[in-house]
Amino acid sequence: MSGVASRIVTFRVGDREVEVMVKPMTTLQAVLRYQLGYTAAKEGCRQGGCGSCTVLVDGEPLMSCLVPAEDVAGRQVTTLEVLAPDGDRLDPVQQAFLDHGAYQCGYCSPGMIMITKALLSHNPRPTREEIVDALAGNVCRCTGYRPILAAVASLAQ
Amino acid sequence: MTVREYLVPESLPEAVGLLGRHGPDLLVMSGGTVVMPLINEGISLPERVMSLRRAGLGGMERRGEVLAIGPMTTLTRLLAQDQVPLLREAARLTASWSVRNLATVGGNLFTPPRGGDVAVALLCLDASVRLAGARGERVLPLADFYTGHGTTACAADELLVEILVPMTQRTTAYLKFGRKEGNTPAVVTVAAAAEWDTAGRVREVRICLGAAGPHPIRAAAAEAAIAGSALEPASIGAAAAAAEAECRPLTDAVATEWYRRRMVGVFVRRALEQLAARHADGLGQA
Repeated sequence: MSGVASRIVTFRVGDREVEVMVKPMTTLQAVLRYQLGYTAAKEGCRQGGCGSCTVLVDGEPLMSCLVPAEDVAGRQVTTLEVLAPDGDRLDPVQQAFLDHGAYQCGYCSPGMIMITKALLSHNPRPTREEIVDALAGNVCRCTGYRPILAAVASLAQ
Repeated sequence: MTVREYLVPESLPEAVGLLGRHGPDLLVMSGGTVVMPLINEGISLPERVMSLRRAGLGGMERRGEVLAIGPMTTLTRLLAQDQVPLLREAARLTASWSVRNLATVGGNLFTPPRGGDVAVALLCLDASVRLAGARGERVLPLADFYTGHGTTACAADELLVEILVPMTQRTTAYLKFGRKEGNTPAVVTVAAAAEWDTAGRVREVRICLGAAGPHPIRAAAAEAAIAGSALEPASIGAAAAAAEAECRPLTDAVATEWYRRRMVGVFVRRALEQLAARHADGLGQA
């Protein structure tokens, strides 16, 4: 019986090129968190059910717990860390969440912010229904969603 | 025990070859939205996983009176098409954006209840599937594809390579009822399609149910109750009662058999009411 066929995978996170050795079927979420130290994308349900691990791959939102890391070879990954690399100048979406009280415990925030970035890049003026549709896969157990919807709506004007 | 190898063939012949070589030790993965959770939780521990991501099975094209859909077409792509409104509605009510970017039409056909919401729509549209393996190709009506809960007629050495949707003139309706609005498993899913005669009576009707049997099913008794009628309250009520009686729902963490059966009645009635209203408005044609 032969061993496990690990592979070296290279991709970009923001403007940084990263190279990791991954075992088969290791998720992008696990690689970001445990091998590269990008902890914004949360290990929530690991079933594609909560949205807290949402990242952008080539600009499209994906649940990183459902993606084998090998599938992002050569691609551009955007995590929350990439939005405000120096930590003191917030992205407009982060600022809107702050202004509207859309952070509470903060666990869902990275996923909520990434799906909002994707929504606004596809559709700069979404209606309330379009916002709800886009955010429907991202669960928040604190806010009741109203502050989050208000934050996103404030950016849509 | 971890998965020992992740295989990503670059063509269909390569994929069929790998399937033949590794047999049942190989788990075939399309979008990964079903397989990855099973692997993440250690519920499924295959020796090898084969992704069809690069096997050239995407794309969607109109061939005369048939829409041919590659099984690796994502649900995001299905939502963006405007040739078949029923498939757009089904895609919109399945999972969420960041899951639909991964989830595929072909994968949905292999998702046991309470998943398979797109499969319910495809069954309603009388779709067929093309299967290919080392022994050659064959085309099966979707109705003959399902053999039981989580089992299909697709043999261990075959792959689903195309989904064929006949483009008939028809009115359609699609309703999904879940415990919340988005990214939610179905309590029940109903797809309905009708063709009408010149007198405004239903000439052909198909009513299909999800989460109401071991796989997407046709509600034949409900169809018989409205065939030839003008879809008025009496015939709609009779069809809803027939569907409620004939369905075979499952009990799970989402809903009990008892509750699902009653919701089948409610949502078949609402779907047929929507069908009648859309016919009156000339909407929902495809």
